[in-house]
Amino acid sequence: MSEDPKASRRSLLGGLVGVGACALGAAVAAPVVVFVAAPAGASPKSGERFVRTVPLDSLAVGKPVLVNLVGKDTDAWTTHPAIELGSAWLVRTGPREVRALSSTCPHLGCAVQRDGDGFTCPCHTSAFGVDGKRKEGPAPRDLDELAVRIDDGVVAVDFKRFRIGVAEKVQVG
Amino acid sequence: MSGKSKLAKVGDWLDERTGFRALLGHALDEPVRGGARYAYVFGSVLTVGFAMQVATGLGLMTGYSPSTQTAWSSVHWLSTQMAGGWLVRGLHHFGASAVVIVLGLHLLQTALFGAYKKPRELNWLLGLGLFGVTLGFALTGYLLPWDQKGYWATKVATNIAGTIPGIGPRLQALALGGSDYSSLTLTRFYALHVGVLPLTALFLFGAHIALFRKHGVTPPASADLKKRDSFFPKQLGKDVVAAAIFVAAVFYLAYRSHGAPLDAPADPASEYPARPEWYFLSLFELLKYLHGPLELLGTVGLPTIAGAYLAALPFVDKKPGAPLTARLKFLAPLAVGAVGAVGLTLSAQSKDARDKSFQEARVKADAEAARAHALAARGIGPEGPLAMMKNDPEARGAALFGKHCASCHVLAGLGSPKDASAPALDGWGTEAWVVGLLDDPDHEARFGKTPFKGMMPSMTRCKPGDAACKPMSPDDVKAVASFLASQAGEPVTDAARARAGESIAKTRCTACHLFRGEGDDGGEGTAPELAAWGSIPWIRAQIDDPSSRATYREKALTHGAEVKGGPKPMPKLGGQIAPADVDLLARWVHAKARGQKL
Repeated sequence: MSEDPKASRRSLLGGLVGVGACALGAAVAAPVVVFVAAPAGASPKSGERFVRTVPLDSLAVGKPVLVNLVGKDTDAWTTHPAIELGSAWLVRTGPREVRALSSTCPHLGCAVQRDGDGFTCPCHTSAFGVDGKRKEGPAPRDLDELAVRIDDGVVAVDFKRFRIGVAEKVQVG
Repeated sequence: MSGKSKLAKVGDWLDERTGFRALLGHALDEPVRGGARYAYVFGSVLTVGFAMQVATGLGLMTGYSPSTQTAWSSVHWLSTQMAGGWLVRGLHHFGASAVVIVLGLHLLQTALFGAYKKPRELNWLLGLGLFGVTLGFALTGYLLPWDQKGYWATKVATNIAGTIPGIGPRLQALALGGSDYSSLTLTRFYALHVGVLPLTALFLFGAHIALFRKHGVTPPASADLKKRDSFFPKQLGKDVVAAAIFVAAVFYLAYRSHGAPLDAPADPASEYPARPEWYFLSLFELLKYLHGPLELLGTVGLPTIAGAYLAALPFVDKKPGAPLTARLKFLAPLAVGAVGAVGLTLSAQSKDARDKSFQEARVKADAEAARAHALAARGIGPEGPLAMMKNDPEARGAALFGKHCASCHVLAGLGSPKDASAPALDGWGTEAWVVGLLDDPDHEARFGKTPFKGMMPSMTRCKPGDAACKPMSPDDVKAVASFLASQAGEPVTDAARARAGESIAKTRCTACHLFRGEGDDGGEGTAPELAAWGSIPWIRAQIDDPSSRATYREKALTHGAEVKGGPKPMPKLGGQIAPADVDLLARWVHAKARGQKL
């Protein structure tokens, strides 16, 4: 193949222009991509976050009560000293024992409601026993149990969130 | 005169510099092969629909503020305070649904006419892309008001994204801007809704139109191809008629509902019967049946398969000019999918209609929404609409009453009439209540179950053998009731009667009761003050300290307290309830006794 120096110079120049334009585009796009993707890489919150709810005496054995979990939370640029984090069903099981079940349905995250002697999800009809065990419906696991502590007669619940829609209980916040 | 109008001269000047006449001619004189048809109107209607969404959307942007503290408030404000805000938001809301419907019709027309066949395959794909972008608009827009409906429905949608194996959790975190909903979720959805998606739509739209102009319409086999209309005015005329029907329908829907619905502010701690927009109901219903690994089939699998089949259509249904009957086998899966979707949608709706607990939850949610609007009309504080709801005097008053009062009193359905050991407060302070009291103070809904039983005699009936007893006449009873009710803040309907009641009360009742601090009950120390009796200040004083003589007096805290197992007198709650809450509780009791709202 005979080489035409003019044509080869031309294609070299063309290649350089192409590479230069791509580099320019990447230089502008890279910081934007990093900026937008940052929250996806942030590690989930861990550790305890006990929130005081209602007096132990106000709970009757075996009768579930829905309590709001109000605590400190940071929402992007605002730190709220006391805001609704979520809610939990408290079921007293003994003189000093209380079971706390996250009200978030592990199926797709709607809040479960009281139904008969257990709970149902108003979205896709998953049903759970009063002990949080899955009875029927599409939920992949039981209701998530939250740690409980009795602080001078008041039930304190450790607020946590778990991955939705999977069989394992994985904490995400 | 040169024969040319001024306007034409301006046109000449402009054309010389821009060539706009050639451009316009290119746009308007395009030949429509086989003649203009109503079947071709959907693309133009969609153009008008998108333009309407852009115009109303830009308008809404001027009044909207995307953060968890301000989104709901700003939407409430722009739809109630800004002139025409309700209409602009209503048009945007119903316009979105209308666009989805017309998009479905456009797709149907294109598929039936086989308008995706060579050389129009790419344009079909661009159209499908626009369909996807439209659903993206719907999904992101649903969240922006940050009300219960949008919050919970979108939560389900993003949780579905999180269940995709592998990339799911990262995809979800990317969409939410973290592991859970926050202001960052709103700013991201907002950026998608008003920036990324419109630019994408504009790009796809431009390419879609350009390719359409390049290839023209696809007339049906029966069309006379020798017939040619130019786009203007014949086809455009039909397009304008259809677009006018579209716009009129959207205006009607917006007008009928006076704008778009706005549910109560998003509350992560609430129970809410979440439902998606109507065009996602079939997928929602499907999820009730698909459990375990099958779930992904419903959330991701079937929509992907449907999309992939649509995208593949031009590449399987290729034979040019094939009649519709020969193409049915390619279109049958679409029909099956459509029938399935309609069936699932109807099933979801009929199940909800028959589901008692869903209906109850819906009624509760609607009541909360109405309450939110009523409270917001009085103003929303800087801490946001959720705090406004939590501090709702109605809810807070009920909570305070439930906590501090309902173990003895009943009022507004709180407390148990069986276990009550204090007067029932429904109707307390009204004329009817006083009439009942004067007749039978020891009725069990009044003082019959309290330590004060037997302290006050009936004013209308005498004990046998009580020679000194002078029963009150019915007129006197009415007069005293009218006077006391006026003390409690009831409107006076008959001033003369209330004045008569006052003089009777001053002479007869002060034998035991106090009136403006004066009166004598022979050292009993139990009969209460009648001036301002039952009014808000009186209730406030009673909650604070029943023995202050502003309400009851010296022995109010001790009378009967020594009786073991007997009913106890009302305790002093002043130290136990914050002053602001005492004030609220007093107003709540006063309103509820009259069946009123705070």
